[in-house]
Amino acid sequence: MRFLTQRRRASAAAAGALVLGALLAGCGPSQPAAISQDYIVAVSRPNHLNVIDALTLEPVNRCDLPAHPAPGTIVMSPDAQTAYMLIGSFGEIYGMDIETCEMVFSANQSQGNERVRSIGAIAISPDGSEIYTHQNPTAMMSDHYQVQPTRVAVFATADGLDAKAVRTFPAPRQVTIMKTGDDGTLYLGGPDVYAMDISNGSYSTIIASRSLDDPKFSPRDVLTVWPIGDTSNEFIRMFSVVQFNGEPGDMDDSSFHWGYERIDLATGEPTSTIFGPLEVVLFSGQTRPGHPEQMWAVLSYLKQFDVPSQTETRSLMLDHTYYCINFSTDGDTIYLSGALDDIVAYNADTLEKLGNITLGGDMSMATPRVVHRPIIASRL
Amino acid sequence: MKKLKPINQKAIELAGTTNQQQVDDVVAMQSVVGCASTTDPGWEVDMFGGTAGLCQPMEADLYGCSDPCWWPAQVPDMMNTYPDWSADAPSAAKNWRNLDGVYPGGKE
Repeated sequence: MRFLTQRRRASAAAAGALVLGALLAGCGPSQPAAISQDYIVAVSRPNHLNVIDALTLEPVNRCDLPAHPAPGTIVMSPDAQTAYMLIGSFGEIYGMDIETCEMVFSANQSQGNERVRSIGAIAISPDGSEIYTHQNPTAMMSDHYQVQPTRVAVFATADGLDAKAVRTFPAPRQVTIMKTGDDGTLYLGGPDVYAMDISNGSYSTIIASRSLDDPKFSPRDVLTVWPIGDTSNEFIRMFSVVQFNGEPGDMDDSSFHWGYERIDLATGEPTSTIFGPLEVVLFSGQTRPGHPEQMWAVLSYLKQFDVPSQTETRSLMLDHTYYCINFSTDGDTIYLSGALDDIVAYNADTLEKLGNITLGGDMSMATPRVVHRPIIASRL
Repeated sequence: MKKLKPINQKAIELAGTTNQQQVDDVVAMQSVVGCASTTDPGWEVDMFGGTAGLCQPMEADLYGCSDPCWWPAQVPDMMNTYPDWSADAPSAAKNWRNLDGVYPGGKE
């Protein structure tokens, strides 16, 4: 914790020097220079939205949610003021001001006898005006269910409470995560990775995954419900695969690997590569901000891989399982969350444990966010 | 299976299906409609057939299985059928004694 406290003091001292300098000069801006830092925003049981100082790991606000917290997938508005959450047993969306806890947006995706669920697939447009979800609808008949075609739904954040979808488009099945590129393209992670023009719903495969047919490899196995990668501005999901080093299908002459399917959200460039050996199960991973050659992943271990050499470079056994990995915006701190009820921070250079915070309720499969924004005065 | 003989209609149909190797007819569902009604987690194996790769402790994975109705896990379906199963246990590791089995009559 000492490391974190020192970082915050340094930030505050620098900001204080700016303000003092402006006053002494007598010709500075009328408002003090903005002071900003990283915050962690996370949903946890029983029904809480937690706002946490990422430097001290102290809570600064906690809002009560009106629905069941699962899955707890968050997307943040561009100004990092509003958290849009997929909760309500995978069926409802709420937007909440993280400073005031005011509810500014809500949408129940289920309407009439149609029950709609979204598995971690929620995204926001770059300007914050639209929310996207991937919907799995089921018609609830009196004596049977009718599974309906899947679709992408578009909600206007300006519609406020009890919003309804303003557009829907047919979409591939089995989509579990989504992210938007800087140009507004919507990327969907399903059997393959797709790029959708959200203005008209047209889409194409940008990374072949299940449809990839390479006799040197087994079919890829992908598991993700965590649309992470914000601080590296990337869409990323991992896959495990068997490489046949002899005859195709010969397991006696094969090796197991981890790989990732990644889209640079600034350029739209897709990458699909192996990054290391498969020795333990890992659930989520992202590249380190500013260090694209470093791939980090977590479950019961925290592991670092060197992507160019496809080797594991560091490994740390954790106190318990964490599902979800995040980085600070400067890439120096790793935050592990999900599963149980605490978030732990590690120094990405030294793997020193910097501290942790217990939320009191489990995060389960939640996707917390790390955002850089103006200072929030503690509401607790 | 050679020593087992189906004696009712459902079992006869099931045996006929397996005899015909109709595995190609199985397709993944696009939405989950229910999973287990029992609470018996911990029997799973990892991708290598062992247990070293499973979540530690078991409670770390409990709600990650029940929330999305993760079909291989023997936990109640919280997505659709029993959303309040964990209402008295916000922390699985600390409040697990408050988790009970679920029963058809207790459907929400």
